[in-house]
Amino acid sequence: MRPDFPLPDTTWEPTREFWAGAARHEVRIPRCDQCGRSCWYPRERCRFCEGTSFQWVTMSGRGTLFSWVVVTHAFLPQFADLVPFVPALVALDDDPAVRLATRVVDCDVDTLTFEMPLQVTFQPITFDGVDGQVTAPLFAPA
Amino acid sequence: MAAPATDWGWATDFEDVRGEVAICGIGEADHSKASGRTTKEIVGQAVERALADAGLEPTDVDGLMYIPLPEQFDVAAFHEHFGTSHDMWESRAGGGMRWAATAPYEAARALRDGAAHTILNTFGVAWATQRSQMVAGPGESHAHEGFKQNLEIPFGWFPQPVYFATVARRHMHEFGTTQEQLGAVATACRRHANLTPGAVMHDRPLTMEQYLASPPIVAPFRKEDCCLISDGGAAYLMTTTDRARDLRTPLVEVAGVGLGNSVTGTHWAEQPAFTSTPQVFAAPAAFRMAGIAPSDVDVYTCYDPFTIHTIMQIEDSGFCDKGAGGAFVAGDTLHFDSGKLPTNTHGGLLSHAYVLGIAHVVEVVRQLRGEAAAQVPDATFGVYGGYTGPQAATLVLRRG
Repeated sequence: MRPDFPLPDTTWEPTREFWAGAARHEVRIPRCDQCGRSCWYPRERCRFCEGTSFQWVTMSGRGTLFSWVVVTHAFLPQFADLVPFVPALVALDDDPAVRLATRVVDCDVDTLTFEMPLQVTFQPITFDGVDGQVTAPLFAPA
Repeated sequence: MAAPATDWGWATDFEDVRGEVAICGIGEADHSKASGRTTKEIVGQAVERALADAGLEPTDVDGLMYIPLPEQFDVAAFHEHFGTSHDMWESRAGGGMRWAATAPYEAARALRDGAAHTILNTFGVAWATQRSQMVAGPGESHAHEGFKQNLEIPFGWFPQPVYFATVARRHMHEFGTTQEQLGAVATACRRHANLTPGAVMHDRPLTMEQYLASPPIVAPFRKEDCCLISDGGAAYLMTTTDRARDLRTPLVEVAGVGLGNSVTGTHWAEQPAFTSTPQVFAAPAAFRMAGIAPSDVDVYTCYDPFTIHTIMQIEDSGFCDKGAGGAFVAGDTLHFDSGKLPTNTHGGLLSHAYVLGIAHVVEVVRQLRGEAAAQVPDATFGVYGGYTGPQAATLVLRRG
């Protein structure tokens, strides 16, 4: 395992542009040149039409809460400082079929509701016992 | 009725093998918390017991199925354990999870071809021992996958309890499933484990009040919504139905097998039908081969890493409408003695042992022989629903 796990490897080709975009405070998602649909996760072939060429597009950064959990047990030792935290799937307004795994922050967990509007917020993520930080697209109530 | 097939998956096209194969021997290793045993020792014990059950010798076994995970019981391990050296047909399409359901299909084809005459399928884990040594466990394979490393784990969306608590909460939203309905699955499994000697949670009762009072670890899941981590294993022997009639064990034959596949793999964020399993594709195919309807099933076992999986697979297999699974499992529906669909009558992964489904198949065979601890009266058709995330499979067994 990489020494900076569970930070992302921002050089890994399939998600390199996603993390490069996050560093610029942009949500970047690949769009299929053939059928025009957003393709998430970024795979070699479009799930919808088998197309193989894509353009990365900047999304609005707005979305809705698809589902979430409240983690109170640190499943990895590196998560110890985060607990409690709220991993979530957020459906992007530009294409709700795109669900980003993310964290909901700056909120009272008791006020979270399904499909509530959220806005991206770019924040550095760090982990207990791991050197370094990466700017990541987290979400907060809009 | 199951949800209609959609663009997110498909059923594998299987030849009809109805009635060709019988499960003629079953054996379980001792199931336990961390025990210091190795995986091969565990499986070896299960195989010895399966052979004794069938009244067969090690040299009678000429086919071996397992999954190519570390330390599984391959041909070399078999020969080392039993001091044998005969030729054996070997398949890596065996083991637990969905393969515990589809191994009889692969075996049927080998029996047809004459590649083997008596085929053993095994699976075992020493994950409770290894977890204390921090070397393995169910999250391990996921942690090395690129999309998980770079799109999920950095956000803490990891490991399996987190994925499936997310699914459970969405299921609650879409269909009105309640915490008590998840608890009905956990408490039914625990009651069955309390009746089953050898279940890891045999001496640990669980009431609904205790379940609801238990603190969430990844809300909406409590610890009791999550499977055990245990050391253990199981094995079953297969041969032709004709040959099985001459053996000492009551006849239990394979009536149907189906395999369903999802296009999204283990990346559940991508799955359009977020609250469904590939049983949507697998179960109808298996029931069609068996020539039965879900309402004909007397006893059901399903791969239950989390309570929500039992509810989803019951829906997706057509035991009730999609979305009605929570209401369906409430009360005593899953209980062996009074329920409409006795389910995981040994306690399942939640309360019996985390041996990835192979003990579920053993339990169905016991039920159809009338030898189970929590016996369903006069069971004729028993089903195992196997699940592996990207795939699910259904195995229909029939008392001969």
